[in-house]
This record gives sequence, structure tokens and C-alpha cells, in this order.
Amino acid sequence: MYSDLLHALPDVFAWTNFAAVVIGVIAGIVVGAMPGLSATMAISVLVPFTFGLEPLVALGLMAGIYNGAMYGGAIPAVLLRIPGTPAAVATTFDGYPMAQKGEGGFALQVAVVSSSIGGIASAFALMLLAPPLSKVTLLFGPSEVFWVAVFGLASIIFLLGGNPIKGLISACFGVFVSVIGSDPIYGNDRFTFGQLEMLDGINIVILLVGLYALPPVIDLLETPLKTDGVNSSKLGTEPIWKALPRMNYWKTWLRGSFLGIWIGILPGAGGSMAAFMSYNEARRTSKHPETWGEGEPEGVAAAEVANNADTASALIPALTLGIPGTAVAAVMLGGLLVHGLQPGPMLFRDNPDIVFGFMWQFLFGAILLVLLGGSLATNSFARLLNLPRPLLGSVIIVLMLIGVYSIHGRMFDVYLMLGFGAIGWVMDRLKFPLPPVVLGLILGGFAEENLRLALRIGRGDPMVLFQNTTSLILVALTAAVVVGPTLKKRFIDSRKKA
Amino acid sequence: MKTPLTALALALTATAAFAEYPDKPVEVVVGYSAGGGTDVMARTVAQFLEQELGDGASVVVKNIPGAGGQIGFTEVSEAAPDGYTLGTFNLPAALALTKDRAADYDVDSFTYLANFVEDPNTITVAATSPFQTLDELIDAAEADPGAITLGLSSLGGNDHFAANMMQDASGAEFTLVPFKGASNARTAIMGGHVAAGTMTLGQTSNFPDDLRVLAVLADERSPFRPDVPTAKELGYDVQMSSLRGIVAPAGLDEATTDRLRAALSAVNENPDFQAMMAEQGNPIAFMVGDDFAETASKQDGIAARIWAETPWK
Repeated sequence: MYSDLLHALPDVFAWTNFAAVVIGVIAGIVVGAMPGLSATMAISVLVPFTFGLEPLVALGLMAGIYNGAMYGGAIPAVLLRIPGTPAAVATTFDGYPMAQKGEGGFALQVAVVSSSIGGIASAFALMLLAPPLSKVTLLFGPSEVFWVAVFGLASIIFLLGGNPIKGLISACFGVFVSVIGSDPIYGNDRFTFGQLEMLDGINIVILLVGLYALPPVIDLLETPLKTDGVNSSKLGTEPIWKALPRMNYWKTWLRGSFLGIWIGILPGAGGSMAAFMSYNEARRTSKHPETWGEGEPEGVAAAEVANNADTASALIPALTLGIPGTAVAAVMLGGLLVHGLQPGPMLFRDNPDIVFGFMWQFLFGAILLVLLGGSLATNSFARLLNLPRPLLGSVIIVLMLIGVYSIHGRMFDVYLMLGFGAIGWVMDRLKFPLPPVVLGLILGGFAEENLRLALRIGRGDPMVLFQNTTSLILVALTAAVVVGPTLKKRFIDSRKKA
Repeated sequence: MKTPLTALALALTATAAFAEYPDKPVEVVVGYSAGGGTDVMARTVAQFLEQELGDGASVVVKNIPGAGGQIGFTEVSEAAPDGYTLGTFNLPAALALTKDRAADYDVDSFTYLANFVEDPNTITVAATSPFQTLDELIDAAEADPGAITLGLSSLGGNDHFAANMMQDASGAEFTLVPFKGASNARTAIMGGHVAAGTMTLGQTSNFPDDLRVLAVLADERSPFRPDVPTAKELGYDVQMSSLRGIVAPAGLDEATTDRLRAALSAVNENPDFQAMMAEQGNPIAFMVGDDFAETASKQDGIAARIWAETPWK
């Protein structure tokens, strides 16, 4: 089962494939460091451009960007108390106080080492768990896949945090978009308005680019950022090999890695939740919790290890079942599909070199993070914050337009993307979460198609949905996700009263 | 509006015939994304067609995916018939979709140049299935009509027609389960989620240990799997397959048509081409000119009949 893994290794070291990871990590750190620009955005803008590239070059770029961005978000979080990505919010708690005390350099070094450790752990989890899981996915027929999709939709709505009603509305919008196009069984047109371009439904990459790239670019152009506060010469940096012995957070790293990996596998939640949980747990078990929030390096370690530990593990359900757990995993699936790589059990069998090579790239991306982000360039990356934002914004818009046009070579898609961008911007302003839209589109489509297939197999009898153990387990998990938070709240309330 | 344009196009074609054809790149429109079976065939043919047309000719593949190939087929049918726009043509899919939805072309919208690939449909079960022969499967379907589920890739294609014709020939009733694409159907068969399925022989070829091919729906046994009987041998006269060829818009002048048909025939005779197609697992069934046109109109008739008898939407 794992021999394919070793077999895929030589290809990863082909210089183009390796260079792709290096460039990806650097680009990821840059993107992550720009407040508002996320890994999801960077990868969705990139996907259409990877069409002409070799699969491992394209996937290497994506793996690198994902790892890089998760650390990059820590740079403005530490220096400006502005999280570069949503996953870096917990990093601000102790990172910024450290910077104020003149330990910003050390904070960033802790962040980069922790990020790297989280990423390495996650890559190992992907390597070890995905191959055996891909063997059992043959057990997943239409009724099981239907329940996985329902479970995913339930988790994204209830576990994302924030307002479940808004999450539900976002998810419903995504599910509605999934209905556009010809229906999965009979091929009847739905909401296509007679447009042939709409018959195949809404391409996920077009939706992602519009939804994830346009709103932050508008923000970028709207709000000039004051960066006078960054004085990189005062970071207090010492070489990373001297800083390393001061980092002794093995327990926190271990705990954060496990949390991040687990949360990555679960559909719905993502890096930000992993970072919060890891931070809280580390503080709860700390011997001196009073120093937390005042510039405790271990707090930075806890947050950063966890938000990188969900990167590769989020791909476990995506690669094996074709069901992405997070928005970033959804974009990566889009990237795989662009290269004709259909996720699922056959992926591991038909393209072992690519899928296992991709896993290695995740591992090397995480290792490179320390070298590229840590020792070489922390100072230069901090200067990135002074880049002129209008320039950056316009470059991204141009890339978006060209990229989306190149998917099918038609302007229709560009207008569609801009339309979704406008919707995304309004939703963003009204604080509707965006990930449920993306997952609603993917999981809604899965749920409908598989429900109808299952019912057809059962000749119309809905009991076909409850006929085996796998289905029943998934039903129970879904119920737990829906009822769990309410019960927990009641429990806490009743204890408060008592 | 269209007539003067056509007249202009014809006039241009007439002059073009005097000039040396081709004096600019020839485009082959593929109605599917790059990397799929049809695209690979188009690129292989294009590479050898360049040699045959000679004199530095250039043949470019252009992917216009969407709407199950319809956008690409429409593009070809509406292009100027000057020999500079060709297209791949998939039977029965390209014509079947003119039955179940509004399409801007029909069987007469094309000049049929040459068909290259014919991949016959099969009746297939999982290797772990209790059904060892086609008869056992059909007996089970007759014993409890509808109890046997048959996985296939989408309605209105060769899989669907194969299943339909199999039901007609045997009198058995299957429950058809149309998955999104052949690979999903194949996974469901392998996982035992449907009792059996139909897909082309080529789509079974990578899975000899997981799938048992009960019959191939062709006149003769396939050289790729001589051990598999034809349905005809077993007493069910059913032929269905997926064909891929090259067409041009209708109204292509005779000189260019002949030139292209001759060039494509030469491509087919090239042993390097044959070797490359075999390597890709593409069973060649070369038909040129009228034979191809005849097959197209026969397929059109089958689609029309099935649509009239059991409309699928």
C-alpha cells in the first residue's frame, strides 16, 4: 500500500517540480502576509493558470502556497495585530504583545518553526491515512455518499462558529447554485435561461475566484493601510539556529498537531477553529496561564502549529471520497480536476505518482517553510507590508480575469465570475460566511445526485438510505453535529443556574 | 442574414480551391476538455494529418468544452465549410442530444470525413458478483423485473441505448441507474452498489481483476478481449458502441473533401499511427466517407426511435 509512496519520490525531486514547491512557499508567505488575501484566494486565482503545466508542478505550487500562506498570516498578526489570514487571529493574542516588547523577531521565528512542525505532522497524517482510506471508499455507494454530504453540510453550518442562521443561508445559496444546469439524472435544464454555457452547471473555480478574490481586492483598494508601525530593524532578530533552543513547546506542538489534523479531516471547520482550540487547550494546561495574552511565545506556537496542521489533512476526505472538508481543499480539488484527475479510490490506482507526489510536496513545503520563511527572509517579508496596495489590487484583478477566461475561453465565464464577486462582496459586508457557499455548491450537488441514485437503486423506497452500518453511523454523526451544540449550551446554562 | 454569408463563404471556398489547400492552419474543434479520450484521439490524428497534408501544413486542436460536447459540435456545424474547421464527432452522443433538447444542428449539418474509433459496449459485473454469464443475469432480471440494477453513465448516450436495446432483445426489465460519468458507474459496480452495468470495453480494460465482462455488444469478438463472447453469440442481437471520428461542416466542396478523406485514410494506414492508437487502448474501426455517413444516419435513427418509445426526460 505504501510502496507507491516511495515510488513517487524521485519525480518530486525533478527540478521543475521542486522549484514549484519553493516558489509556492514564497508566494504563499507573501499572500498570507497581505491582510485580506487568503490561501483560498491565491489558489483559486492560480488554478486556471496551471492548465498548461505538468500536474506535479501545478500541485506543488498549490501545496507550497497553502503551507506558506498559513505561516504568512502570522507576520502582520505579530507586527500589526492584523491577522493576514482568518486562521492567524489566535496568533495576534500573544504575537503582538511580544512585538511590542521588542521580541517580534522571536515571535515570528516561533511562528515559522511551529507552522512547519504542524505542516509536517499533517503531511504525515495524509500519507498514512489516505491510502488505507482509499481502499474502503468502494464501500461508499450512493446512499453513503449522500450521508457524507449531509454530514458535511451540517458541520459547515453548525461548527463554523459565528451565527448558524447566517451559515445556513450561505449554505442554502451554495446549494441553490448547485442546482443550476442540467439535472444529474434526466438532464433537464434548470435555471439555465437557455444558455448552453450554463448547461454544465456553475464551474467551482469560477465561483471561487469571484467569491474569494474580488471582495478582498475591493477591500485592499478601499482601505489604505498605515504601515508606519512596522520598523523591521527593531524586530530583535537573531539567527534562527540560536533561537531554536529557546523553543521548548513539544507538548503544545504535539497537541496542536493532533487537533489541527483532526479538525482538518472534519468537513466544515478549518484552520481558524484549529488555532483557537489549540490556543485554549495550551493555555488551560499551562503552568503559568497568567502570562498568556501578555506575550507568551507558547501561545504563538499553539496557534501556528494548529493552523498549519489542518492543511494536508483537509485533503484526506477530498482525495479519497472527492468530498472536500474546507474551502481550500475544494479549490485544490478544482485544481486536480483541471488536470483530469478524478478524486476517489481510482485516483490512487490510476495516478499513484501524482497523488503520492502531491503528498510529498506537502511535506517538503512544510520543511521548506523553516528555511525560506525563517532563516532567510523574515525581515524582507515584513517589508512586504509596505507594498503599494493599488498596484497589488490591480494585478490580482487582471490575473482573475485572464484566469477565468482561460478556463473555457469564453467571456461568459468572466461575467459570471464578476457576478459572483459582487454577491460575495455583499455577503462579506453583511458578515455572511463564505465557506458554506463553496461547500454548499459541492456538497449540495453530491447530496442531490446521490440521493436520487440511491432512491433509484432502492426502487423508490427511502429505507434504502438506512440499510447498512456505514449509513447509520453517518446519520448518528450528523445528528450529533446538529444537536450537540444546543445540548452543550443547555448544559452550560443549567450549570450556571445551579 | 445567413444566406449572403454562406454565399460569401462558398465564393471564398471556390477561390481557396485554386490556391494550394491548406495555406493556413486547420483547426480541429474538440467538444470536450483536453486530456479526455476524444481529445487524445484528436491530437493523435492531428499530428499525423499534418504529415499527410504535407508542405508545412499545421493542424491545431481547439477545445471548446461544454454542454456534453454540444457547444463544440454546434461550432463546427456553423463554421465556414472551407476545410479549415474540422471537428471530432462522437456517436451516438452528438446526434442523441439533438433529440432530447433544442440543438442548432442535425445529422445533415456535417460532411462526414472519417471515423477512427469504435469502442463496443459491454455488459459487466463485479468480479465478486454471483452472475457468471449473461444468461444468469438475464434470468435473474426476468424472475423479478426491476430487481437487477444496471449502472451506466448518463441517459441519452451509448450506455443508455445499449441497456435499452438489451432489454428489448431479452424481454428482461432492468432498473437503470445513470451515474455522472463512466468512472462513477464503474466504481459503483466494483463496490457492489449496482448489480451490473454497461460501459464500453475500453472503459473496463484497466480493471481485469475487479470486473467480469459478460458480453460485448458487437458483431464480432474484440481482438482486445477474444475470451469475451458477443451478445449475438449468446442469442441477443444487440450492437451498440461509442464512435469517434472527424467531420467538417456540411457543404464542403468536393475537391477538399476528397483531399481530406484521402489524407485521413493515409493517416489510418500509417503503422506508427496504428501503434499509437493501440497503445492508447483505442480500438480502430476506420470508416471513410459514405460508410461513416451511413453509420451516422443509422445511429440517428436508433436515437430517434428510443427517444420516441421511451423518452428519458
